[in-house]
Amino acid sequence: MTETNKDPNLLEDALRDALHRKDAPEGFTASVLARIAQQYSTTREVKRTSWLSIVSAPLVRWAAFATVSICLVIGGVHYRNVQREREGEAAKQQLMLALRIAGNKLQLAKEKVNEINTSRPERHPQKRSPRSRS
Amino acid sequence: MPVHPLADATPDVAGADFSDLVRRYQSMVFSIARHFLADRSAAEELAQDVFLQLHAALPTLQSEQHLRFWLRKVTAHRCIDYQRRRKLPHVSLDEAPEPASPAPSSDPFIAKRIQQFVASLPEKARLIVILRYQEDMLPDDIATVLGMPVATVKSHLQRSLALLRDKVTRTIGEVTI
Repeated sequence: MTETNKDPNLLEDALRDALHRKDAPEGFTASVLARIAQQYSTTREVKRTSWLSIVSAPLVRWAAFATVSICLVIGGVHYRNVQREREGEAAKQQLMLALRIAGNKLQLAKEKVNEINTSRPERHPQKRSPRSRS
Repeated sequence: MPVHPLADATPDVAGADFSDLVRRYQSMVFSIARHFLADRSAAEELAQDVFLQLHAALPTLQSEQHLRFWLRKVTAHRCIDYQRRRKLPHVSLDEAPEPASPAPSSDPFIAKRIQQFVASLPEKARLIVILRYQEDMLPDDIATVLGMPVATVKSHLQRSLALLRDKVTRTIGEVTI
């Protein structure tokens, strides 16, 4: 029979002796700090990667593709409308120019006619002789 | 490297940076894991994991006492999780490894054998014995850390002591402690 069996306190003392705190391995603190630093850099990497993964997700890719396509179509239609407006404006300008030229020409012609009319001597209309009638 | 001082902590803790906290508590955390797992490298890895978790949880800890309680609780739960996850075999007396450093006992042989006996206890009982005799915690505090009734803790302690006494008697025989 041991002493520990006789006295419970002895066993408890023996347990305290046996289960005393042990020193952590050498470099333990440095290892912990290194792992924390590594974890931080990994977290940043994961954050970057997560953004990339969002962008590269199929649904997002399709949504981006659809958005770009819609923008291209709208842009094309708008560009065509602007082009038509410009062509219409140019045609209008040409028409106006043509009308202006035609108006000027008409004015010149009218002036000519007037000039001719004013320079011709006044003539009385001839009375037909009775002989010629016969 | 980012270092959190304890936010809203008592003055004795607030001034400390994280590396000081690790140095102050590494022996406690490592020893709990070491006595529980009876595996030096596994204990070191587990203790590092505990301090990594502490680094993240540091702003939520209010005082030195809170910090010590948190460390013991997290270490205890991680020990049990680790053993279950790795499915470590229950350590028999013959398989229990040699202790890493000799105990400051009057008889290193007896200290070694007692460590082996403790390592052979069931996990809950082992943890309770380690917290009681390594950390000198009272049953009430152990119950709080492990989240179990005080009566259960006392019952585990009584059964463990009886078992250990029996093993000591049978194995060590006439050796006087």
